[in-house]
Amino acid sequence: MINFEEELKKFHPSLEIEEAEDAIYNQDLTDIADLLVGLVKEDKESASEDKQ
Amino acid sequence: MICYNCGATLTHNDFCTNCGADVARYKKIVSTANLLYNMGLDKARVRDLSGATESLRQCLKLDKSNIDARNLLGLIYFEVGEYVLALNEWVISKNLRPTKNIADDYISLLQDNPAKLDTYSQAVKKYNQALSYCYQGSLDLAVIQLKKVLSLNPKYVQAHQLLALLYINDEQWEDAKRELNRCQKIDVGNTITLRYLNETRNILDMDDGDDAFSPGGLDLKGRKGFGDQKKRDRDTADSYSIPVIRKENRTLATIVNVAIGIMIGIAVAYLLILPARISAAREGVDESLKATGEQLDAKTAQISSLEQELKSVNGQLEKTKEELEVYTGESGKMSAMDDLLNAVNSYLENPEDTKAVAEYLDMIDEEKLAETGESFNTVYLLMMSKIGADVGSQYYDSGMKSYQAEMYEDAIKDLTKAYTYDNSNGDALYNLGNAYRKSGDIVNAVETYNKVIEEFPDTEMATRSQQYVNELNVD
Repeated sequence: MINFEEELKKFHPSLEIEEAEDAIYNQDLTDIADLLVGLVKEDKESASEDKQ
Repeated sequence: MICYNCGATLTHNDFCTNCGADVARYKKIVSTANLLYNMGLDKARVRDLSGATESLRQCLKLDKSNIDARNLLGLIYFEVGEYVLALNEWVISKNLRPTKNIADDYISLLQDNPAKLDTYSQAVKKYNQALSYCYQGSLDLAVIQLKKVLSLNPKYVQAHQLLALLYINDEQWEDAKRELNRCQKIDVGNTITLRYLNETRNILDMDDGDDAFSPGGLDLKGRKGFGDQKKRDRDTADSYSIPVIRKENRTLATIVNVAIGIMIGIAVAYLLILPARISAAREGVDESLKATGEQLDAKTAQISSLEQELKSVNGQLEKTKEELEVYTGESGKMSAMDDLLNAVNSYLENPEDTKAVAEYLDMIDEEKLAETGESFNTVYLLMMSKIGADVGSQYYDSGMKSYQAEMYEDAIKDLTKAYTYDNSNGDALYNLGNAYRKSGDIVNAVETYNKVIEEFPDTEMATRSQQYVNELNVD
């Protein structure tokens, strides 16, 4: 059986037009490719430090 | 595919031919993202929008620059009524690729139709309000608000689901099923919809299978195909009770429902249909009254116009009569001409009988002389010159006799004629003034004396007349 109270918790307010700007600015756009690039960069930096 | 390091186009090699960066893993990530995009597209094509959303989100987590995936995700959000999320995706997409991007068209479509955008915004606000009502426990208000939301945006999946949940909570299973079916037409793969629908169908199936129920409650063991339900309810069965359904009660309820339905039908007929008919009939009567009124107004205007015309015609008739009177009346031109002809005739028969001639000439109104022709005037003056002095003398004598006999009215009449026939007779004029004075007609007396002073200046009569005028003016 469906528990109304529990189910109700799954519903969240929808974003309103006025909130659109904040939502766009605050959206985390980091993807796996960014992480990979970061990792590669860190590897390169650590390798150069080891050489020094 | 471009290099993450320098932006150069990548080849089939696992390194960038421009900067030498290792792109093997990067290529795998982008390929996986493309695979997820394709999956999302396939799901979207069969209207599994929830599944498509999930795949596209994963795709974008791997590769945020997959513009097609982002645009498609925006479209799916738009389809399920989440306009702000849709706009978010399209705006980000446009920022990532400012040119040759279909997101530009989508944004323009929304921005160019502010009324529609306002409707969407209203729908979202009302949905949030309904959700707030739910949290506060005002479930009836929430249902009303959600119905408004769905009238504004019938594709708002979350609103359908929340309304269905409220119906389920209120055990309005058929209504819940209807809402969930609508959800499913928009998004076939939504797990919330499927779960609610499954629950609702099970309950409705139980309602239809009366035989499987014992009078005291629901027999779960005896039902075919209820295994899933049983399994799902195992955890929550303790906290929920399944409605008790009795066959006899349902029969009675059906009869009561039919009776209520009939009563509602009659009430509707009296409250809605009958007033509507009466209103329609009244409108018809009003229309005919209006038409009759307009006809009456037109007729009244016509009558008024005819009256005006009649008045004008009567005026013309009166004028014509007056004109005719000028010619044919007692003092008219025709009469004057007759009198003049008679006078001439009388004179020709007996020139000595000046009195008979004068009788005819007397009948001619002097005022009409001006209106007659030149020949008429010539003849009239000729006759006056022929008999004027003689007749004037006769009238003078007669007038003086009357004056001396103190019969001033007769004297005035004769002396007036005496002066008319012979206007060189100053005595006649002077004595006419005396007659007026003695008869008490001061105005005419003064006027006559003044005429004496004017016509016969430097005479004894003028001097006396002046004296009388002075006396009368002093008085």
